Amino acid sequence: MLSIKNLHASVEGNEILKGINLEVNPGEVHAIMGPNGSGKSTLANVLAGREEYEVTEGTVLYKGEDLLEMDVDERAHAGVFLAFQYPVEIPGVSMATFLKEAINANRRARGQEELSPVEMLKFIRNKTKLLGMDEQMLKRSLNEGFSGGEKKRNEMLQMALLEPSLAILDETDSGLDIDALRVVADSVNALRSPDRSFIIVTHYQRLLNYIVPDFVHVLFNGRIVKSGGKELALDLEERGYDWIKEENAVAG
Amino acid sequence: MPLPAEKASNRISEKINQAMPTAIASDNIGHFIELYEKTKAHSPALPSRLASLQNRAAAHLEAMRFPSRRDEDWKYTSVRRIVSQKWDLGQVAPLNLTQVESAAIEELEDIRFVFVNGQFVPALSTPSSQWPKGLTIKSLAEALEGQDAAWMSAKLEAHAQHDNPFVVMNTAFGQNGWYMEVQKGAIIEKPVHLMMFSTGEAAFVQFPQLWVHAQPGSEFSVMEHYLPKEENTPHFTCAVSCLRLEANARVHHYRLQRESEAAFQINYCEVEQERDSVYSSYATDLGGAIVRNNLNVLLEQSNTETHLNGIYLINGEQHVDNQTFMDHAVPHCNSNELYKGIVTGKARGVFNGKVLVRPDAQKTNAFQQNSTLLLSPDAVMDAKPQLEIFADDVRCSHGATIGQLDESAIFYLRTRGLPLKEARTLLQFAFLGEVTSNMPHEAVRTFVEKLVHDKLYNH
Repeated sequence: MLSIKNLHASVEGNEILKGINLEVNPGEVHAIMGPNGSGKSTLANVLAGREEYEVTEGTVLYKGEDLLEMDVDERAHAGVFLAFQYPVEIPGVSMATFLKEAINANRRARGQEELSPVEMLKFIRNKTKLLGMDEQMLKRSLNEGFSGGEKKRNEMLQMALLEPSLAILDETDSGLDIDALRVVADSVNALRSPDRSFIIVTHYQRLLNYIVPDFVHVLFNGRIVKSGGKELALDLEERGYDWIKEENAVAG
Repeated sequence: MPLPAEKASNRISEKINQAMPTAIASDNIGHFIELYEKTKAHSPALPSRLASLQNRAAAHLEAMRFPSRRDEDWKYTSVRRIVSQKWDLGQVAPLNLTQVESAAIEELEDIRFVFVNGQFVPALSTPSSQWPKGLTIKSLAEALEGQDAAWMSAKLEAHAQHDNPFVVMNTAFGQNGWYMEVQKGAIIEKPVHLMMFSTGEAAFVQFPQLWVHAQPGSEFSVMEHYLPKEENTPHFTCAVSCLRLEANARVHHYRLQRESEAAFQINYCEVEQERDSVYSSYATDLGGAIVRNNLNVLLEQSNTETHLNGIYLINGEQHVDNQTFMDHAVPHCNSNELYKGIVTGKARGVFNGKVLVRPDAQKTNAFQQNSTLLLSPDAVMDAKPQLEIFADDVRCSHGATIGQLDESAIFYLRTRGLPLKEARTLLQFAFLGEVTSNMPHEAVRTFVEKLVHDKLYNH
């Protein structure tokens, strides 16, 4: 599914990612943890194609293709989805318009027929209901005035509608109460399948009580310094990140 | 009233003082005077009152000069390209019902007035037998004999001596003026739709004149619709409109300008509001080479509401200049102004919005906002909000912003699969949507939004 080799990336001349290696196979859930400033969000954004991040070295293959050569929207068409840490507020663009445009843009790019307005409405309504969202929300401007929880729920709605092959969740759990956290977890779990993979970037172990990862990686200072199974997350929860910092201070 | 000789000579000395290229300026005026004389010689005689008024306007015009960019009011807009051409009046050209139907606004039930090259075409317009009850429509000449003669004459006299030569010119030439009167308490649901077609290779000038008088408690909608010409030859529209809203009247006034990019337009609109009346204007400029709109609203009595909405979406070398003037002369009035535009290519937008709150106008609420997206390095926007407040118990604010599209919003949309162009179009559409959403007639709103969308998408 995804093969990252020796990935280096900089923002405004500062190197943030310093050689990431990561293999994600179909159906796997990978959690990426690490202290603040370790490069977690940078990794998520580089994969989605944000232009401020300059890739200086390394390769990323997605389903055998060079992901870094693809435009932002082409990555979406190919099935890459990023749930934003801070979803953008867009006044004047209604949720309904946005979802319709997004779904049809992907369908067009994949050579599928656009959904008719009736099919579209039915499709969107169904998923909205599954996520326990109020249909009235479809009339509101995209993310404008949404609470933190509503914004994250909205990211999950989009993920459910776009049915990606690779979903990257960038700290989707930060700042959520337990109900909203369950919505996020349920959304991911409902979509888990043998041909769909997840990269869950998180600062806390809490979300991983509900989404059981296959692998946990610790990102520190731009590199993955430790990988393990789901027990690693519990370890981190108990011991914090200091021991990771210490171990790597010696090495670094 | 003869033209005061003193005033004329003053103007000439002004010219010299300002070291104007007088030869060019007076030649330009001369072209229009020549056209005026030629037109009068070939037109059917008008009632003497109107004829003498127009002659006085022409005499005043002869002593004027066209504004240059040294004149404060015309600082950002040069009319040289317009007035240096020799114009002829437009001639009626063949147009058939199919062409009118295909240019109609879908789902809009309207009362149509069709003009071709400035000439009224009754055969393609809604016949008078189908005009709704409570609405009277007359030609200017007829109306000047009617009960509104005093109001109209006073206006025309003032316009004949106006210091804006285009207003004077329209008054001199305006034989094709239309007057609409809405009777007391009449609710006219169908908008009057003035469809201004232009066609043919020949360049021409037209002088539309619109009069609206909404009597107490009436409700009325009117739309000036300037359609695109297929041929890329220029024409010049020099329009004046006067609207009078009596107590508790409501008027929706649309102006949709989507002419070709070889077209010139200079508009001058005066609105007078009496107590409790509500005037809403929706001006959309998509076309035109050089467009200048003056919209002056005078609040004569209290408790009125005024909504001025404007859109300009221009590219290439288009130039659109909006000048608004809200005159709060009395207490307890509310005005709300929202002009938004997108300027790309080498286009230039101008917004000069003046709000005057006179000493008596306590408890005024006056808001003005002008926002522009400037989307290319060569695009220019001049925004000049002017608030002059002479009363102390008022709530007034104005804001002018000029910005670019939000890159983080574009990125967000693209991660959801929208190609760059779609993402940009959607954001621009949303930006202008704040204005279109104020349009109360759904069919008009949908129509304008589609035009906006098409122009954005084909940028």
